[in-house]
Amino acid sequence: MRLNEDPAAFKAFYLRHVDAVMRFVARRVSDPHLAADLTADIFLAAVDSAHTYVPGRGSEIGWLYGVARNVVSAQQRKTAREARASSRVAGRRLMDDDDLVRMEERIDAERRMRGALEAMRGLPEGERAVLELIAIDQLTITEAAKALGIRQVTARVRLHRARRALGPVASPTTVYVEGQA
Amino acid sequence: MSNFEERLLAALEDEITTRTAGNEMTMTTPARRRYAGLSAAVAGVAAATTAVVMLTSGSPAFAVTTSADGTINVRISEFRDPEGLEAELGRAGVKAVVDYLPEGQTCKGPRGERGSATGQFQSSVGKDGGGIWFTIEKGQVPAGETLVLAVSKSSGGDDQAPFATSLEIVKGTVSDCEAIPMPAPDMRDGGGMQSGTGEDGPILHSRTEGSAPGPHTDTNGQDPAPTVTSQSG
Repeated sequence: MRLNEDPAAFKAFYLRHVDAVMRFVARRVSDPHLAADLTADIFLAAVDSAHTYVPGRGSEIGWLYGVARNVVSAQQRKTAREARASSRVAGRRLMDDDDLVRMEERIDAERRMRGALEAMRGLPEGERAVLELIAIDQLTITEAAKALGIRQVTARVRLHRARRALGPVASPTTVYVEGQA
Repeated sequence: MSNFEERLLAALEDEITTRTAGNEMTMTTPARRRYAGLSAAVAGVAAATTAVVMLTSGSPAFAVTTSADGTINVRISEFRDPEGLEAELGRAGVKAVVDYLPEGQTCKGPRGERGSATGQFQSSVGKDGGGIWFTIEKGQVPAGETLVLAVSKSSGGDDQAPFATSLEIVKGTVSDCEAIPMPAPDMRDGGGMQSGTGEDGPILHSRTEGSAPGPHTDTNGQDPAPTVTSQSG
């Protein structure tokens, strides 16, 4: 992809995924301002790493969620101040009152998913990552493997282990989307 | 109508454009002052449009936002209220003279002495749903210099993509806009300008390196200096 060279391509990419990215973020942070910042950061990171996207292996959304995961976990390791200083586009400054309300509604709507994420914290990182993308973000196995840069068979094994370990949390219907992969 | 998603898209596009240019600003000490009021009279044709500041719908004709790194992003969705835009840019620390002219007219150049900007200068003028946007890097318009914007509007209306846009930085006094007919379109070739038109209309990028011949973006192509590339959308 030439997201950083072709404004039209970037715009199309953004419009295709902005809603998914905002939902992804809303499942992981409860501060609407931070959610706005992270949304901006994720798209900038996607542009920066557009060269890592290889069409065909998993989908664009899988790749983008991989980028999004990295951005969100990097943020969670940093202090809020550091995160803000390094952000080139301050998402929070682009929100008006209506946007703030809408972002809070998004975050509210994802409350149940955040609860499920919380329940997964005990899992080993590798398994948790796969389950998270499939059960929470509703990626297919192929997409999740792409997002995490692992082979499909590895993703499948980890998903199986995570489900078995977690049982009740991981058994909503959303887990059974692997048929689409 | 504007919301977070749209504003974010605009901000990201500006950021990407800025970065694509491999921007390396060497300027420091940006002009940080309140807008002091411009004595420069606006051309009669433009003055007629200044009465309306904002539509009753609440949709502003323009938006000026300053990024954390000091970059100022300017989006103009409707070519009216040039004085309001001047004031808004002034609040962002950039002295500006803005003129909107009828289609086919431009301001007689030069409007003053060339600005002193060194290093790379990059501005982008892109069509955005009929409007334009451009980016002013931190320190690009230092104290004592003025951003001079002249837009030849579309005869289709204030909210249509402009016929031509001229953006330059002038040092010292800026002369009033004397409206003159625009040179023949074939001069564009002489100006090194190529423009492509695609689904999203023409997107023009202009970049000038070094202190000479100075920053100047002119879709009218009066000046042979800038290196202009274009991408169609």
